[in-house]
Amino acid sequence: MNRRKAATVLYYILFVMIPLDFFLIFMVAPTERIMGDVQRIFYLHIALAINSYLGFAGVFIGGILFLRRKNLFWDTVAYTSAEIGVLFSTLVIITGSFWARPVWNVWWTWDPRLVTMLILWFIYVGYFLLRKGIDDVVRRARYSAVLGIIGFLDVPVVRLATKWWRSIHPRLSKEGGGLDPMMVKVMLFTIVTFVLFTVSLFIFRFRIARAEERVAVIIKNMEE
Amino acid sequence: MKFINETVTIVRKDILLELRGKEVLSLMTFLSLLLLVIFNFALDLDKVTVSDFAPGILWVVFAFSGIIGMGRTSMVERDEDAYLSIIFSPASAESFFTAKVISNLLFLLTMEVVTVLLFAVLFDFEKLVVFFPRLLPSLLLGSLGFSIIGTLFSFLSTTSRYGEFLLPFLFLPVVAPILLGGVTSMDKILSESSEGFSKWMNILIVFDVMYMVLSLILFIHLL
Repeated sequence: MNRRKAATVLYYILFVMIPLDFFLIFMVAPTERIMGDVQRIFYLHIALAINSYLGFAGVFIGGILFLRRKNLFWDTVAYTSAEIGVLFSTLVIITGSFWARPVWNVWWTWDPRLVTMLILWFIYVGYFLLRKGIDDVVRRARYSAVLGIIGFLDVPVVRLATKWWRSIHPRLSKEGGGLDPMMVKVMLFTIVTFVLFTVSLFIFRFRIARAEERVAVIIKNMEE
Repeated sequence: MKFINETVTIVRKDILLELRGKEVLSLMTFLSLLLLVIFNFALDLDKVTVSDFAPGILWVVFAFSGIIGMGRTSMVERDEDAYLSIIFSPASAESFFTAKVISNLLFLLTMEVVTVLLFAVLFDFEKLVVFFPRLLPSLLLGSLGFSIIGTLFSFLSTTSRYGEFLLPFLFLPVVAPILLGGVTSMDKILSESSEGFSKWMNILIVFDVMYMVLSLILFIHLL
């Protein structure tokens, strides 16, 4: 009961924080000198990217704990996180594309960060393909845990490889580190808001998943 | 010692099976030949462009023929649950996995040698054969990585309703670093520039070691 109360409090906090965050992004944060208003996508873009990595880390941790404890609870944690990771990484790629078009003059560039995100996206879409193809609940949990662990550890290797691969070619563009202090504050606020948003999304989805599992058990019992 | 004995025995079984059935290797090399012909139609290669495209074409062919071959070798184990007899034997899961990696690696390397020869003949590109000894280390490391991930994932995918059809979707994104490393290092050898060559070899080594250790830990959960 206590946990449920905490979740409700979180929703109320977000109810205030999300509109406030958009107000900060569009009204308070200074307009970038060269890129103009389109640069405001940056706040969302960064926050989404961080949260998609959080989602993928959840798949990794959920997978390890499932294999150790053999408790299906951790499998639910893993695939709930995977859904959030795939959702956010899709949004990262889309917002990035919208930002790249006016700034770099291309929809897509083979920059290491972009390629890493895209490959991760492929891996976790594959994760759902794998899950869809296996009916046995325990086996599905075991197999997808293995894929989740392997996939997550691929991140640093892919990142390094794509970085070296592109470093031979001239870079298109790179934003400098000299952010306005106000921009930094807005960015941090957006990140905190989105992390809380991810947590609440996770709680929501997790409850639905547990309910679905219970319903599946009830249906199975009725059939027998 | 016991581990080595068990591994060698299972590898010998796979080779014997292949010598009798000639199923995996013929499938793989046939697909390689077919892909080379298709690439020739698609890219219309001539003497000048061929050296630019050779590494990319070769590694794509290795990857796709490899997927077909490795899917087949694990299907052989899943057919009528043949692998169960190995699981119930005193052989450990680790030696079973290692043996499968080694036999897949042997099949891959054989296919790759044939493909390189076919490429040299079809595109009049003798340089590839002359440089082959220098290509060998990166070919070995890259194929080992393919074999580790391919063996693990082919066991994942064959139990799925989608069967071997699932393997490329799981395999290709994860081996992306190997494809990058393999293509770039081959490109460097063929263009005779040693700049940055060793770091690509390092990334292949890191990939192989990391995933071999990880797979040995995780494979037990797939049985």
